[in-house]
Amino acid sequence: SQPLAGRQATELQSKVVPSKQILHSDNMEMEPETMETKSVTDYFSKLHMGSLVYSCTSKRKNK
Amino acid sequence: RMEASCLELALEGERLCKAGDCRAGVSFFEAAVQVGTEDLKTLSAIYSQLGNAYFYLHEYTKALEYHHHDLTLARTIGDLLGEAKASGNLGNTLKVLGNFEEAIVCCQRHLDISRELNDKVGEARALYNLGNVYHSKGKNVASAGTHDPGELPDDVKNALQKAANYYEENLTIVTELGDRAAQGRAFGNLGNTHYLLGNFRSAVLAHEQRLLIAKEFGDRSAERRAYSNLGNAYIFLGEFETASEYYKRTLQLARQLKDRAVEAQACYSLGNTYTLLQDYEKAIDYHLKHLVIAQELNDKIGEGRACWSLGNAYTALGNHDQAMHFAERHLEISREVGDRSGELTARLNLSDLQMVLGLSYSTNNSMMSESHVVDNSVNGTRPRVGRRHSMENMELMKLTPEKVQNWN
Repeated sequence: SQPLAGRQATELQSKVVPSKQILHSDNMEMEPETMETKSVTDYFSKLHMGSLVYSCTSKRKNK
Repeated sequence: RMEASCLELALEGERLCKAGDCRAGVSFFEAAVQVGTEDLKTLSAIYSQLGNAYFYLHEYTKALEYHHHDLTLARTIGDLLGEAKASGNLGNTLKVLGNFEEAIVCCQRHLDISRELNDKVGEARALYNLGNVYHSKGKNVASAGTHDPGELPDDVKNALQKAANYYEENLTIVTELGDRAAQGRAFGNLGNTHYLLGNFRSAVLAHEQRLLIAKEFGDRSAERRAYSNLGNAYIFLGEFETASEYYKRTLQLARQLKDRAVEAQACYSLGNTYTLLQDYEKAIDYHLKHLVIAQELNDKIGEGRACWSLGNAYTALGNHDQAMHFAERHLEISREVGDRSGELTARLNLSDLQMVLGLSYSTNNSMMSESHVVDNSVNGTRPRVGRRHSMENMELMKLTPEKVQNWN
């Protein structure tokens, strides 16, 4: 009959080889979220006169 | 004069956030809030952008606070479109925080208003968000137990099926609108939903579409995501050669994009794939690459799993000395990170190896002398995994006997 060490080595191999248990990286790659955006200029330009926006931005440029 | 000052600060905040510096943007927006304004629409826009900036900075509690302020304000001034947007943002934030029921209510509100205003773009975006909430909800419940994709309790299956339906509805609209970028996102997440549901062929079809669109846009991150997801799906279809090809593409792109964590993930996936192909030399090669990066990134959990995998691969090759070395290292690391399940696995591996080696070595029981008391609470304390830390998301997966039979 098979020597004990050899038999155990075979058993051990069959135990771990084609993976009854394998570490599988279950790492799904999701797509990014989309956030809704607001801007102060959207609302500002609707609410106030264009000239005020203009004076504001030109003042910034002069700085 | 004060009005202009608040606006100026807000404009600078917007500019900084658009340039990608959300941290600095937040300071300017908060300064703008301090100065204050009587224009509630301007204030609403500032709150909304603060919420989004905190969201991108992963400070979700702060994001929640500001999106909530925005929602309250939008309702107060009767700004319906503003309310829809705030609801959507609040929904996304609640989702990340794991509050799925409230997230659904908010995203549904976004959807209802968009339909009321006949805003097709808003409607599509709300449907995508709803899909994401149901996907997260399903995944969250599923990860509480240890299931393979496709083997799910009913509540998980229901949530994932809803997610798939919302993504499909979204796809119908964005296809009509000709919005390719939105189609790409929907295909990617639809693919992942089919994957969890165990519809691996459908997952492949969706990810192939995602890949096509990513290439159209030259979006290499999205391309890499698609390769990785295709690899995962082919593993479960039992087509390991194909999976290995996709993982190799993932690895290539990860290296080009200089993302070490993703590179490690790809090496790890390749190591596992070559194990399934019973090519243990290649498996060892990739697991060693993974090990090096895990050590470099000080990712102990990844390192432990690399050692576990290496121990198995060396055992398969009959190299028991190396197997012993890595099993011992796995045990050390499992103890260090408090991974009871890993610790038990490592002890069992060691005792198996010891049995074989015990016959060739005389009495080497250095590690095993401590192993009389083996705790039974194996499912007790696995460390929680963080969001978007790819290497920490590796799960210990049991393959069912039927699958193993099918694969061999």
